[in-house]
Amino acid sequence: MVMHKIRERDEQGISESIGFMLIFTLIIVGIGLVTLYGYPLLLEQQVNADTRIMEKNMIVIQNDIKSLTYKSVPYKETSLKIGGGMLTVYNTTANPTPSFIISDLNGPIAVFNPGQLQYESVSAQQVIAIENGAVITRPIYQPGSVMLAEPRWFSDTDPITSKTTTVIYLIGINSTDILSRTGVGTVQMQLQQDMTNYTEVSAPSNPIIVTYTPDPANDFSDAWRNYITISLNWVETAPNTYQLPTSDTLIIKKYDIMVKGL
Amino acid sequence: MARLNDDAQWIVLMGFMVSFSLFFLGIVINQSTVVGQTTAEGVLEFPKNDIMNVRSVVLQSSGISVPADLDNVRKDISSIAMARKNAVVSFRVTDAPPGLTYTKIIDIHYNNGVTAYNETTNN
Repeated sequence: MVMHKIRERDEQGISESIGFMLIFTLIIVGIGLVTLYGYPLLLEQQVNADTRIMEKNMIVIQNDIKSLTYKSVPYKETSLKIGGGMLTVYNTTANPTPSFIISDLNGPIAVFNPGQLQYESVSAQQVIAIENGAVITRPIYQPGSVMLAEPRWFSDTDPITSKTTTVIYLIGINSTDILSRTGVGTVQMQLQQDMTNYTEVSAPSNPIIVTYTPDPANDFSDAWRNYITISLNWVETAPNTYQLPTSDTLIIKKYDIMVKGL
Repeated sequence: MARLNDDAQWIVLMGFMVSFSLFFLGIVINQSTVVGQTTAEGVLEFPKNDIMNVRSVVLQSSGISVPADLDNVRKDISSIAMARKNAVVSFRVTDAPPGLTYTKIIDIHYNNGVTAYNETTNN
């Protein structure tokens, strides 16, 4: 008689407690790794994203300023989210140190304090600011600065008359008080018609000199140097002093933008 | 004993495919906003209407025959363009050589710091 042996599943090597321990350990190690490496990485990503978003936001605000100044739009507002830092308006009187002085051989033609719209991110250690129509960024604790979006200064040589016209825009940011905001806000800006003026010097005594005096606590001179010497090809004769190309006409357009609220 | 039921593996597969396609869709949407923004800025920056206005007013005034009057009109056009539209504008009207169907040659120059436009036309 042949014995039919029924094959059964061999469960001799299985212990429920060891299985439990294995899975439990895996989960704890997994959570540990995520907390140790993943979470800081996520936070850093968040800080980076906040800074990138603010860079875009500042360029949007700069476009609003362009509409207010070059296109004669009376009022503009933009809603934005300010994350990871604070957006502050330093008006022209609160922060008089950065200044632009334009002069020819007869003496100064314009002395201008631009004021500032500034975003300061402590976690990313970066400052992004709008100064005189340019978007500039700099690290908080290190020297140096970079221009993210340029203003619209230009020098035009007319092919018909061969005369050179140099146009410099001075765009001031003003407010009744020092305003600041974090979180979701609306930047409301208005062009102040009575403080906007247009100076045309039809025969300046060349050379015309632009002098930028930086705020020592908030030094954007590298950005301005790169813009003026590389983008515009004007010559730096002394630190932060630039000589314009020989011009037949110098036009200085001064605008004042009132920030009504943040 | 209960047999492992693997009849519905495709549900898991579909789940994977849907999530991956969502991921790629996200990338595409992200890129499209960037493209739209820069294109819109480019269109807004181009001063088409300003150039057309300058051109039409220059062509209108090219008929002025007294040189002193034309000079005054030229100065007015230049300063209005600078004050209102922030552009350097100048033009020159010269008489065309005889024997042609037109009588004036007009050179127009426009520059607002971003866009420069030069044209030679006749009237």
